[in-house]
Amino acid sequence: MSTETENKICILGIETSCDDTSAAVLLNGTALLSHIITSQTATHQKYGGVVPEIASREHSLHWQAVVQQALEKAKLEFSDLSAVAVTYGPGLVGSLLVGVSAAKALAYALDIPLLGINHLEGHIYANFLHNPDLEFPLLALLVSGGHTHLILFRGHGDYQVLGKTRDDAAGEALDKIARVLGLGYPGGPQIQSKAREGDAKAFDFPRAMLEPGSLDFSFSGVKSSVLNTLNSARMKGQELNAADIAASFQEAIVDVLVRKTKIALNQTRVKTLVLAGGVAANELLRETLARELVYQQVRLVFPPPLFCTDNGAMIATAGYYRYLEGDFAPWTLNAVPGLGLI
Amino acid sequence: MMKYLCIDTTTKVTALALAEDDQVVAEGFLHTNLNHSERLIPMLKQLVDAAAWGLNDLDMIGVVRGPGSFTGIRIGIATAQGLALVLKLPVLGVLSLDALAWAGYGHNGDIVPILDARKNEWYTARYSWNMEQGKAICLDRPCAAKPGEWLERLARLQKPIWFSGDAVAKAREMICSILGNRANFLPEFESLPRGAYVARVVWEKWLTESEGEVVKPYYIRLSEAEVNWRKRQQGRRNEINGG
Ligand SMILES: [Zn+2]
Repeated sequence: MSTETENKICILGIETSCDDTSAAVLLNGTALLSHIITSQTATHQKYGGVVPEIASREHSLHWQAVVQQALEKAKLEFSDLSAVAVTYGPGLVGSLLVGVSAAKALAYALDIPLLGINHLEGHIYANFLHNPDLEFPLLALLVSGGHTHLILFRGHGDYQVLGKTRDDAAGEALDKIARVLGLGYPGGPQIQSKAREGDAKAFDFPRAMLEPGSLDFSFSGVKSSVLNTLNSARMKGQELNAADIAASFQEAIVDVLVRKTKIALNQTRVKTLVLAGGVAANELLRETLARELVYQQVRLVFPPPLFCTDNGAMIATAGYYRYLEGDFAPWTLNAVPGLGLI
Repeated sequence: MMKYLCIDTTTKVTALALAEDDQVVAEGFLHTNLNHSERLIPMLKQLVDAAAWGLNDLDMIGVVRGPGSFTGIRIGIATAQGLALVLKLPVLGVLSLDALAWAGYGHNGDIVPILDARKNEWYTARYSWNMEQGKAICLDRPCAAKPGEWLERLARLQKPIWFSGDAVAKAREMICSILGNRANFLPEFESLPRGAYVARVVWEKWLTESEGEVVKPYYIRLSEAEVNWRKRQQGRRNEINGG
């Protein structure tokens, strides 16, 4: 062991839950020594979405090089590692199993602890990487292609889901409309850039608030409304401005996310809000929240865009706090594709 | 003396072996309903401990890279690669069907391993034992075959055939109906994938190429999405050519 890493906690984080193979080496919870991400987006593009079997095959071919590069870039030996953290769910089972099998073999051969990380918790912990001073309790708004959650965190691993989507996730709705508008995949960033040229007040799409006080979400209504608008225009032979649709739709989604978040902040009186997940990279969401929360003395924290989408650094960060708690995974750890937040 | 570990997770059987040159030192065989992911490392740990070996004693790792369950193939390879990365060991990949040829060691006639490939197909190949050379000669390369067609083909050979593999149990009646008394079977525990069989083919391979390699999965089949995509491309090409 090199003297530099003595008495220091060095976590290797591995993430293979969907279509990104990623590994990161994290020192003492905040020093990101290396971070490698290989994206399969190009491979899946011709199929119009992620193909699970192809994703698994790609992870299998690339994980080893990704982990090796992470160690090399960190200028560390495997023997310098304190633990190996890996995503074990939720995600695509075949993809998860590549990462879980690899992580187990590495940890077993190194005789160091294995840390099983919930991917959703990983997204939220991406915030601790650059803000280790975050204080509990905190409210997390997790928005991605698969999830829309409002979660109250009282401490590490001690949380409660306050609300979640009853149908589509926000990112899922963005993907769908982006596809219909011919903007491509992934939808969030495409809608965002198209929306810049459009007028957000051009269309008045519905905002589903559900029962008074509810912190749950529903995005299927706004999605259908956009689809209906497009269909009836097509029937009449009208050409609608895609930028106006994108801008109005994005604003409707962000509006609901912001309003629900404000209700949650009022209900819990929590003074820290963290954003997580791919949609947390959305500029309109960040700016609107920042503007709205100024007067409420709520601290708003979000990860840089690279750490909003799937990455190994967030898994290493979550792993670091797991490691401090001594919460190690058994060698029987299995992939749990439908793993949720408790 | 070379000490090595062999891993086969390409069927429902988790098969492990610790071997030293051409001798098997310890063998693990688990045919239960648990997943490979849950049992592989615990089983490996027990085997290494029981043999009073340390992982640091290993000189090489052999792993079965297919054909078989896609997920199983990847679990085996990722595990072998993870261990080898840390222990700085060479890895060799071998085929499940080559290993199962050892189930028919020394028998007179052809050896035909058959593995359940789902979709009403088998992964299969054909071998015969050359006892002078002490090895199985591959007569038909591994492929995915329709059971009926494959058995008809074997019947035309007019030779005794020895079957091994995880598809035997369910197909026994069908095999007998087509091959009659030319069909031969092994006891189930000899017929299924075993660490010892893998150790034999790994050792054979090591003797000729003692280098190690970047092991790649051997699926035989493309993923369904790729198959459909190619069909569509082909259809488009035909359309262009035809009209
Ligand atoms: Zn994610």
